[in-house]
Amino acid sequence: MRILRRWRHPASWSIFRLDDRLLLILIAVIVGTCSGLAAVALNRSLIAMFEWLHHFRHYWWSFIMPAIGAALSALFLDKMVKEGAGHGVPEVIYSVSRYGGLMRFRSSFSRLISSCLTIGSGGSAGPEAPVVMSGAAIGSNIAKLFSLNDRQRVTIVGCGAAGAISSIFNAPIAGMVFSIEVILGEWKAVNIVPIAIASVAGTEISRILQGNQIAFSHRLFHIGHLDIVACIGLAIISAVASVLLTRLLRSMHGVSKKAPFPIWVRAAAGGCAVGIIGIFLPIVLGEGYHPLRTMIEGAYTQGLGIVTLAVFAKILATSLTLGWGGSGGIFAPCLVIGSLAGLTYHRGLLLLWPSVPWVNEGCFALLGMAGLISGMLHAPLTGIFLIIEITGGYEVILPLIIVSVISTTLCHYIEPVSFYLKELVEKGQLLRPGTDARVLSDLSVQELLEKDCIIVKQNMLLRDFINIIKKSHRNYFPVEDEKTGRFLGMIHLDDIRSYLFNPLMYDAVVLGQIMDTDVKVVYLDDDLSEVLRKMDVNRLFSMPVIANRKFLGMISKATLLDKYRNELMVQTDL
Amino acid sequence: MPFLAENHIVFICKGMHGCTSHILPSAFSLLSIYMKLNLNDMARCLDLPVSTVDRWIRQGRIPIHRSGNDCIFKESILEKWAFNHGLRFSLPNEERKKEQKFGLTNLLPAMQLGGVFHDIKGDDVESVLKSAVDKVPVPAINKQGLYERLLEREALTSTGIGKGVAIPHPRTPLPEETDNSLITTCFLEKPIDFEAVDDRAVFVMFILLSTSIKNHLHLLSRLAFCVRDDSFVEFLRTYPDTSSLLSKIADSENLLDKADHN
Amino acid sequence: MDAQLFHIFRNTPLGRETLLQSIYFCKKVGASLIIYIPEFTKFLMYFENDVVQIDLDNSYLTSPETALKHAKELLDQGKIKARFLEPKNFTASTLPDISTNFDFMCCPRSISDLSSKIGLGYIGPRVRRIVNSARFPVLITSPVFKKWRSIAVSFGGSANAVNALKLGFRISRASEMPLSVYTHMENASRESYEEIIKNENHEEEMDHYVTEWHMFERGKFEENIYDVPHDALVVLGAYGHGLIRNIFFGSKMEKIQSTITNNLLIAGPNYGLGQK
Repeated sequence: MRILRRWRHPASWSIFRLDDRLLLILIAVIVGTCSGLAAVALNRSLIAMFEWLHHFRHYWWSFIMPAIGAALSALFLDKMVKEGAGHGVPEVIYSVSRYGGLMRFRSSFSRLISSCLTIGSGGSAGPEAPVVMSGAAIGSNIAKLFSLNDRQRVTIVGCGAAGAISSIFNAPIAGMVFSIEVILGEWKAVNIVPIAIASVAGTEISRILQGNQIAFSHRLFHIGHLDIVACIGLAIISAVASVLLTRLLRSMHGVSKKAPFPIWVRAAAGGCAVGIIGIFLPIVLGEGYHPLRTMIEGAYTQGLGIVTLAVFAKILATSLTLGWGGSGGIFAPCLVIGSLAGLTYHRGLLLLWPSVPWVNEGCFALLGMAGLISGMLHAPLTGIFLIIEITGGYEVILPLIIVSVISTTLCHYIEPVSFYLKELVEKGQLLRPGTDARVLSDLSVQELLEKDCIIVKQNMLLRDFINIIKKSHRNYFPVEDEKTGRFLGMIHLDDIRSYLFNPLMYDAVVLGQIMDTDVKVVYLDDDLSEVLRKMDVNRLFSMPVIANRKFLGMISKATLLDKYRNELMVQTDL
Repeated sequence: MPFLAENHIVFICKGMHGCTSHILPSAFSLLSIYMKLNLNDMARCLDLPVSTVDRWIRQGRIPIHRSGNDCIFKESILEKWAFNHGLRFSLPNEERKKEQKFGLTNLLPAMQLGGVFHDIKGDDVESVLKSAVDKVPVPAINKQGLYERLLEREALTSTGIGKGVAIPHPRTPLPEETDNSLITTCFLEKPIDFEAVDDRAVFVMFILLSTSIKNHLHLLSRLAFCVRDDSFVEFLRTYPDTSSLLSKIADSENLLDKADHN
Repeated sequence: MDAQLFHIFRNTPLGRETLLQSIYFCKKVGASLIIYIPEFTKFLMYFENDVVQIDLDNSYLTSPETALKHAKELLDQGKIKARFLEPKNFTASTLPDISTNFDFMCCPRSISDLSSKIGLGYIGPRVRRIVNSARFPVLITSPVFKKWRSIAVSFGGSANAVNALKLGFRISRASEMPLSVYTHMENASRESYEEIIKNENHEEEMDHYVTEWHMFERGKFEENIYDVPHDALVVLGAYGHGLIRNIFFGSKMEKIQSTITNNLLIAGPNYGLGQK
């Protein structure tokens, strides 16, 4: 029994006890492998579903298929697994920032199944975000199994996410960078090594099971100087597209919330609309990897008009799928929209300056992809590394950097917060480590309580009170009711200073007469930011803490500064 | 913890209840010395609230491992960590030593040290002080220097506090010359005009020599408390001998202590 | 005590009985009552090493308009004031987070299953997970409100049982009700149990609070349980011995909760951590 229990607490083994890096690396291997498997499973099932449903695509009623898929997925999530809809990455970030990465076990598989239903039937969403959430949940539960503490668990959750992304794209660096940039939000040496190992493990699993394929191969591009200048224009266009996508998604969410139908009806409605669009523009359906390949190889033959229409259509389709209750991520749609935008731009350039030897349109497709990813996620590094890894095209690095960076900056001006973080920031729930909000949320009133006030009763004479003042170290004296012990009010030394030296009053005044009953109080479970606001509004430097109508102690700004500094120093250490 | 004991020498300190060290020799020696403390004691050593330490252990921010209510850590690592983060860490026995230093002397031991002397000769302030200073039983003191300092203080304002009592003292404490504070009680042969606050002649002097200002104020306040009582002053006027004076002082101090602790 | 008891209100007659029990407990023990009237069927409780999703049975959301009124009526009857909890953090838009730094929690035997399933021998899986992860003891109420007039601690000698004993002392001290300890001796002598108590430095409290210590040497456990008075609050530890032993030999907690109808106060393995 004891042996079994010890096995489940490896953090307490003597080799690992004080330097847990080795432990984290070992667990990272396990987690990377598991999340890699999850990603491969989703990939395979998507391919299988796609092939199975392909036969039915030419029937007139094929537009219902996305509707059925979305409805099924919404039903599954709501009734069977009892989770909310949404793509889940904000949930991972929320749990990492607030609760040390604790996630429910059901999250490991629920999104995989639901997004398989949504995307496989034709919904316009990506499989990456569900896979990230599954990987993160797998990491979290393995960490729970081994009873790791918060900091270690956060690292392992990052490992899970990294393993998942690396596996699905066969791109270890992108997985690493995504996990650190977006999920964890901090580049710490202690995180990077396990996450890197997990990425490698995930990629290796994917290569073993699916072969070492570069997702999108391409022709060699010859970038001229004019092309680099033209990139700036592309960056602007992709920034515009990102903002459009974000805004449309949000408004769809808003509209669908107001609709009085049950969840699965709404999802079905969205799916129907997508299906209808898909009849005219089949590029809009599904996650779009196949059309992506064609576009990068420069083999996409539709004209400028159709391509421009396709950009907007895909944006609309994605918003409909995700905003109305379907389950999936925005990564893959971003890639498709980005490459469509790139194509549009290229065709436009050709139209305006036909004599200039622009580079092949496939290159612009690539650059568009990078621009859109960087703009949506505010993660330029992820965009750069992802494109390089999935295309193997290092020669585009210069324009790639320009597009990513400019796109991110532009989007940052218009939408100050990235897509994943937007929900959290709106609710005021984003807590990055080492920030003021985080420190205040970690500290609690209980930790700041000062219990060195001497409590007095309301019937005490001033004369006896003088003796108490002699012994006390503070200026505040709380008054309690003699019989019930309830907090009645506070006496501040300033208020009674003038009476203290008048001996005639010593026997004439009872404490109940000089106390201040209109006192603002703080409760034990109050939020510290709320407490600080109360102090600022009322210009107080200390306030009494009450629980169950009894006085517990004082809380003051001076102690808060002290504890705040300690907390900040501990949070931001190496 | 059998697993642990096989490979390391374990030094287990049982916190505030005294140190019992068990050194288990083994083939693979030294290198890891783990200490174990209860969570509450740990919080006390770090001078932090229990909930903060508990939270930091849960979040992995402090290098302590926890099993149940026990904290296991390596002293050197924890000290380094505390230093890097501006926190104090001191083991239980060290804390106890710090608390002992700052005691205050009370009237009774101070008067016992200083001695009680009768029939001090002199016609005026200077001569009376001179004879009194000669009686002070501290060989290390420079008598002439002390006399001048007492005079200096008298020149500022008279130390006659009324009802015939005076409390000459140097303006600054004398920590080098005396280890303990003392009060030398001198009953004068005949009452002298001290220019006291109530213009009454002084018949008894309490020479206060303190090691610190805090001690001085403490003794002064206690003495003032005694003198406020008219019956005490009447008692003094009977020129009591050493033992009865000291017992009277002891009684007054007991009353004071009781009043303080209420 | 400045303790807090967390109660999830079900606006049905069954929920009324549970709330009455919570009110009585708070008054006796001097704790303050915190009531959550759920708006959504799900919520999350984040513990130290586990996150538990509570999926409430639909009856918890019955007629929300009258829920507050009914709760306040019961509070007025019991002459006790309570605070109503409004969740501030949400993991997802319909998934509020409920904090876990309470001192007690009260719930019926199951909160995610239909009321028809609540009977002897059944403790819902969610409730079990809460007991396993929480630092606070869980008060599992009998289906009908019953005032308890004494405290009975089931002491089996394991570490959790010692926790239960400490909890018993605490309740006895706060409520000034008589405390008795019941031990079913299985192949161990009386002295060994006393030894355990001495090792944990609880001898004085044993003498001070405990009025009687019943040691059952013979007979089956289920039969001896009859000696526990019908109006006692039974305090016990959960998951006392290891997992394998529980599977093979059955656990005391399971036997107790399938046999008696008293209110149970269960202290999980994490009870008492980080407390003074």
